[in-house]
Amino acid sequence: MPAEDMGKLSHRVRLAFAVCTVLCVLVLAISPVKDFRVEWKHYKRSFLRFAQGRPDTKKLLADYNPNIDQAWIPGMNVVDRCSTCHQGITQPTLADGSVPQPFRAHPPIPHNVRDWGCTVCHRGQGPATEVAEAHETTLAWEQPILPAHYLQASCGSCHQADLSETPQLTRGRELLSRLNCQACHKLSNIDRSSLGPELSSVGYKVTRQWIYKWLKEPRTVLDKDGNVTVNGYENGAESRMPKFRLKEEEVLALSGYLSAQKAKPLEAYKINPAVVAAWSKKPDLVSQSEVRFRQMMCTTCHPLAVTRAGETKLIGGNIGPELTKVGSKVNEQWLVSWLRNPQGYLAHNNMPRYGWSDEDLYKVSQYVMNKLTDTDLLTGVPALGEPTEDELKTGKRLFLEKGCASCHHVEGIPPQKDFGPDLTALGAKNASELEFGKARIQHNLPAYIQAKLQDPVSVNPAARMPEYSWSQIDLDAVTTAVLSQTGPKSTSALQHLVVPKKEASFQAMGEFAEVYERYKCYACHKFNGYGGDLAPDLSFEGSRAQRKWIAEFLKNPQTIRPTLILRMPQFNMSDKDAAIVAEYLSMAVQKPGVNPGSLDGQKYTPAMVALGKQLYDVKYQCQSCHTIGGSGGYVGPNLNNAGNWLTPAWMEAWLRNPQSLQPDTIEPRRNFTDDEIHALTAYLMTLRSGIKSQTGAKVAAASATMTQGAGR
Amino acid sequence: MKSKLRLAGIIVASVFCALALSGCKKAVAVKPDDAFGAYDTEADWNDSTKIVKLGYQESQGKRIFYQYCVWCHADASPAGPSNRSNLTPVPPVLNDGEKLNQESDEFMQNIITLGGSALGKSAMMPPYGKTLSADEIKAVIAFTRAIAQPAYQKPGRPGSQYTTK
Repeated sequence: MPAEDMGKLSHRVRLAFAVCTVLCVLVLAISPVKDFRVEWKHYKRSFLRFAQGRPDTKKLLADYNPNIDQAWIPGMNVVDRCSTCHQGITQPTLADGSVPQPFRAHPPIPHNVRDWGCTVCHRGQGPATEVAEAHETTLAWEQPILPAHYLQASCGSCHQADLSETPQLTRGRELLSRLNCQACHKLSNIDRSSLGPELSSVGYKVTRQWIYKWLKEPRTVLDKDGNVTVNGYENGAESRMPKFRLKEEEVLALSGYLSAQKAKPLEAYKINPAVVAAWSKKPDLVSQSEVRFRQMMCTTCHPLAVTRAGETKLIGGNIGPELTKVGSKVNEQWLVSWLRNPQGYLAHNNMPRYGWSDEDLYKVSQYVMNKLTDTDLLTGVPALGEPTEDELKTGKRLFLEKGCASCHHVEGIPPQKDFGPDLTALGAKNASELEFGKARIQHNLPAYIQAKLQDPVSVNPAARMPEYSWSQIDLDAVTTAVLSQTGPKSTSALQHLVVPKKEASFQAMGEFAEVYERYKCYACHKFNGYGGDLAPDLSFEGSRAQRKWIAEFLKNPQTIRPTLILRMPQFNMSDKDAAIVAEYLSMAVQKPGVNPGSLDGQKYTPAMVALGKQLYDVKYQCQSCHTIGGSGGYVGPNLNNAGNWLTPAWMEAWLRNPQSLQPDTIEPRRNFTDDEIHALTAYLMTLRSGIKSQTGAKVAAASATMTQGAGR
Repeated sequence: MKSKLRLAGIIVASVFCALALSGCKKAVAVKPDDAFGAYDTEADWNDSTKIVKLGYQESQGKRIFYQYCVWCHADASPAGPSNRSNLTPVPPVLNDGEKLNQESDEFMQNIITLGGSALGKSAMMPPYGKTLSADEIKAVIAFTRAIAQPAYQKPGRPGSQYTTK
């Protein structure tokens, strides 16, 4: 190299340096550019632009912060940065649906978003600062956002008591309880329902052919003629029995085994031959028996398929099983004995023990056996004889293998426990903990739960779980309820968030307890939160109804609400039983502060009555909902007999604040003055209808004697 | 030689760029199912094949409507027949957009809170102000707007007391 060139760089090296410098600058620039282009900053800037285009810019930007917003709520274990992008979440003026996301305000909810954070309800990754990381499943964080459709599940993980705001969750919990999912699975905070029927003596009740058909198709809705056959699905009255995937020989063995179950001999009852002889010859037996069947109001609890205008529908309550084709199912001897004393066959069931006369028993059983039938119910069922020794053995093995003993009791077989997996923490599981098998579904928890519920084999070919038939609404409800099973709170400090359920109990006392148990009042009525919800809550019946009216009503129940198809059945109660119930209800089942004896109907003057009528007809127009005479609305109860039915103390308390007596009543609370309340009560107390029946007088007399007896 | 250097430069730069870009790569976003996004749904009253999506507030309105209002403001009630035919004047069906779209939210809030007689309408509409909270009444109005047929349009200038009408 020449001397003059020493220290000089060659052209090439200079170029190399230049390129490297440019590259270095570029590399150094990547970081600030990336930082500038980061997703949350984009939302920050677009919120600024958005706010500037609105009339309330100043208010919207009052607490604007160009950095990451983080809500840290140590007590809740929450670190949420959601409001970094969701900047309008607490701005009431941005509540409108036309505001673009992510700036829209949160809809008003009972919790303050600032105190609770977002992920407590919505799940997802709170500390994330990128849209995808916050909302979706990532490698580092597997809990994605809970779809809004199942959001009520989050309410359920703290609120064990049912809330009126979460109907879907409540329905789901009801279904989990009603379908007795707890027989196989462990679930938290779900009411235990009764198990499936005991099968120890089922051989006396049904034939082997029927069991065969039932096991194959427990919920056939329509047979080939389009008639409702075994068990309907509409009307919420679906079969509680799911469908098991059984092979032909398994059905044969199980039906054989079950039909051989005759542990407790039938308590046979012979209807008086004179009654049978007299009635069996009458040409109008069928029509007469139908009348009697209807009068008994069996459909209050049992659904029946009714065809009207070419459309077959199930009508009736959903407490008892569907009865449309029951005549082709049960043995007549069994039916008579069951109707007389249901607890003789099954120790625990909700069917009341009616006071049957032989004539009624004959008529109703004839109606059921001859009219509620389906000749082709058992079509396709092979001729089945007595089961063989082998079938009995296989049947017993299958009964245990399939988990039948989880729901059904059979003499000599101990009940199975925890047959299915524990689901108490399923709602908090990550997708990677689930087995999706070959199912072509989204890999997330709700999709998994739905697939499992609809077709258990699709996600796990070896699943033992039977198949249920869900409507979309029920499927979503159950999914919500299962998602709410998130297990115990992660730390004990969070325990205080749990809102426990109020345990309801009602202990009937004395003679009433016997009558209460016999007529199964609790199957339909609630007492202090305990019991069914088909019929009015009787927790305060003693404050509400006059004792004489209760006794008369029990003897001859009439419908008070004109639109109701379901009404109290005719129990054929004895005068003594009616008096015991009336006595107990009016003495022991009262609303504190509403003493039925505290107000005397006598103090009302004719002037008050006239004012009351004026208020009723003109000022408040109560006739829009209530009927008096033949006219008025049918939203509220008919008031024709209010003077005999309700106590003045109840009426006044009710008019003052209906919700304090019955929280879910739709009667609005109004601004009545005291004078108006007295006047309306005075008017309502004059409304009396119905001739005092002889039985009523008798019961009243019996009741009076009893009170005297108690007094001594 | 020059071209070789340039090539090396390009390679180095592209490696850097690739490294930088790989840092930007987003997690694969799965678009959530459309129906999952709705808190609740209601079938269109005139055409049951159409589904109206409801948000939280509207769904609360739906619940309250089916408990309190359905008896007189729909053609069928949970108990079967509707009470509408018993009333004169006949109350509007809740999705009657022709009638209800003209009423402002304030008017609806008032008539539900204070009852018909307070606003010179039928006294058969009782006041619900002491039974339902203001938020619950707002929710019912939101539900009304959601199911209105023809669809409800917000007044042009929100917050202004002078509407174009």
